[in-house]
Amino acid sequence: MDLITSVISLGFVAQVLRLMTPFYLGASAANFSERGGVINISVEGFMNLSAFSFAVISILTGNITAGFILAVLINLLFSIVFGYFTVSLKINQIVTGVGFNLFIAGLTKFLLVYIFSSSSNTPRFEGLPEFTLFSSIPFFGLFLTDYITLFCFLLIFISAYILFKTRFGLRLRSAGENPAAGESLGIKIRNYRYYGILICGFLSAMAGIWMASNQNSYSDGMIAGRGYIALAAMIIGKWKPVNIFFACLMFSAFEAFEISLQITGSDIPSQLIQMLPYFITILVLIGFIGKTKPPAADGVPY
Amino acid sequence: MNKKTLVNLISVTLSVLITVLIVFVFLLILGKDPFEIFGMIFSEVFADGYGIGQTLFKATPLIFISCGLAVCFHASLFNIGAEGQLNAGSFVIALTALKLDFLPVPLVTISSLIFGFIVSGFFGLIPAYIKIKKDVSEVITTIMMNFVILALVNYFLLDFFAVQSTMRTEKINEELMFLKISDVLPFFDGSTLNSSFILAILAAVLTYLFIYKTGFGYKLRSVGFNELASKYLGIRTNGVILISFFIGAGITAFAGMNYIFGYKGFYEFGFSNNIGFTAIAVTLLAKNNPIGIIFSSLLFAILDYGGLSVNQLIPKELMLVVQGIIILSLLAVDKIVSNYFKEKLI
Repeated sequence: MDLITSVISLGFVAQVLRLMTPFYLGASAANFSERGGVINISVEGFMNLSAFSFAVISILTGNITAGFILAVLINLLFSIVFGYFTVSLKINQIVTGVGFNLFIAGLTKFLLVYIFSSSSNTPRFEGLPEFTLFSSIPFFGLFLTDYITLFCFLLIFISAYILFKTRFGLRLRSAGENPAAGESLGIKIRNYRYYGILICGFLSAMAGIWMASNQNSYSDGMIAGRGYIALAAMIIGKWKPVNIFFACLMFSAFEAFEISLQITGSDIPSQLIQMLPYFITILVLIGFIGKTKPPAADGVPY
Repeated sequence: MNKKTLVNLISVTLSVLITVLIVFVFLLILGKDPFEIFGMIFSEVFADGYGIGQTLFKATPLIFISCGLAVCFHASLFNIGAEGQLNAGSFVIALTALKLDFLPVPLVTISSLIFGFIVSGFFGLIPAYIKIKKDVSEVITTIMMNFVILALVNYFLLDFFAVQSTMRTEKINEELMFLKISDVLPFFDGSTLNSSFILAILAAVLTYLFIYKTGFGYKLRSVGFNELASKYLGIRTNGVILISFFIGAGITAFAGMNYIFGYKGFYEFGFSNNIGFTAIAVTLLAKNNPIGIIFSSLLFAILDYGGLSVNQLIPKELMLVVQGIIILSLLAVDKIVSNYFKEKLI
């Protein structure tokens, strides 16, 4: 099969839509945090943490449900600590994010060797149950194969609704745009920043769990920059849920294309495809594709 | 000693102590004897010249990178792109040394270091330029640049310069290799410690003088402290940002000197092993002070080398956890301590 036919096929489109899951979940996670005014560059770390805890707990207990619930809880616990650092102690959010990334990377590497005596990966495990409702429907059955992907597509609408149509969303955005004004109206800004960070922890847990479940194991470095691509998608999507969806589609199309390249053995260098998401983000930031503007109080401690 | 230095010393000491405490509890939970493990680390590191030599060897690249980061951080430029910058520079150092080896030895060494510096510095100029022209935070651009640079280096290495089925360049001429310290001082026998370490110490001292004792260093710190006020003082802030990012990123290239000229003789993809991120922790622990960086690099190197010696008892990756805890506890303790002293002043 040559490259062109493999790319122009329904299977390829379905692949793109399915591979989008971790990108969109991660981007949406970062978006909720930044809408509340907290830059969270440790989405990468949080995805890594939840992929690890989901796989390890599922393997050790033999119970996927326990793995799922505990992975989410562990991420929420780390999110609270992240919130304590950035919101309560008002420590520089970027530095805290770098610190969390380093700490989580070290912790998962250590525990992987400690528990499984392997520096690369865990044994294989079952993964999340398949979602079979759509499996007989022609096109949708190809990519809506698990509950998290389904949730991810619903999230596009859910997150747009929450952010722009609910009281909670308005207050969360006020924490990110003009915290002083919000506070003067009686909104507990710090609480809302914590809520944003907690939602971020939950959604990045979904992304990490999907990764581990999709690969049926955890391997060191499996997130491979997807958390950063998610941040890039959020920026290119101008912090708007639907725009972020299209940015994620572009990035997952690159990934699917790269996989096609490897399968068909084409001589287009894969490194250059790998760097495209980051390169395009830089171009967007320079202003080639419209101007992006973060929430006004994004990154400013309050 | 002024009050600021005192507060800094207190918070650094406290956070290291807290880290030790957390790690002790962590080890007890895992059912290990923390005294045995820490005892082994120190006895291995300080037992003989070899242990000390290896530790200093591991500290060398950290000192270089952290000095570069300190220049950036003093100008309030949060450069997270050292991992990419240092790889680009190191790659070019090895290439220059390979391609120019018809020249006399000192000329080759000097020109490869200069080219490495310029290339790393160039990759620092890009985020700086985007920052001053488009007002985009250097944090995001440097993160993205890391991936771009690593992909580019990987592409050029594998497609043009690598030895068949490896991830490394060819070996440079043997005459170019730096002096091993053990050839002069037999005390360090067997260790890979080389004259790069002396250059690293020199770099730290020079960076200290540059930041604290020169006119440009004053401007740089002023821009870092308050960009707007500096502008009103007549400092050309954009120029300062560009130059500090160029110099800061440029210095990170020298991390490759230790590996290429001092140890292996070639550039290998992945040699840096995320040291560009570790250096961020080292720099923060040293409070951006280049002299402090020598000591915090040594601490991280002791953990790194010591981790190898306890690998029988507990995976050496424990030291990565320790490094993570150090940085997080430093951030928290720092804030709490400085809040405490501010309240006392009023």
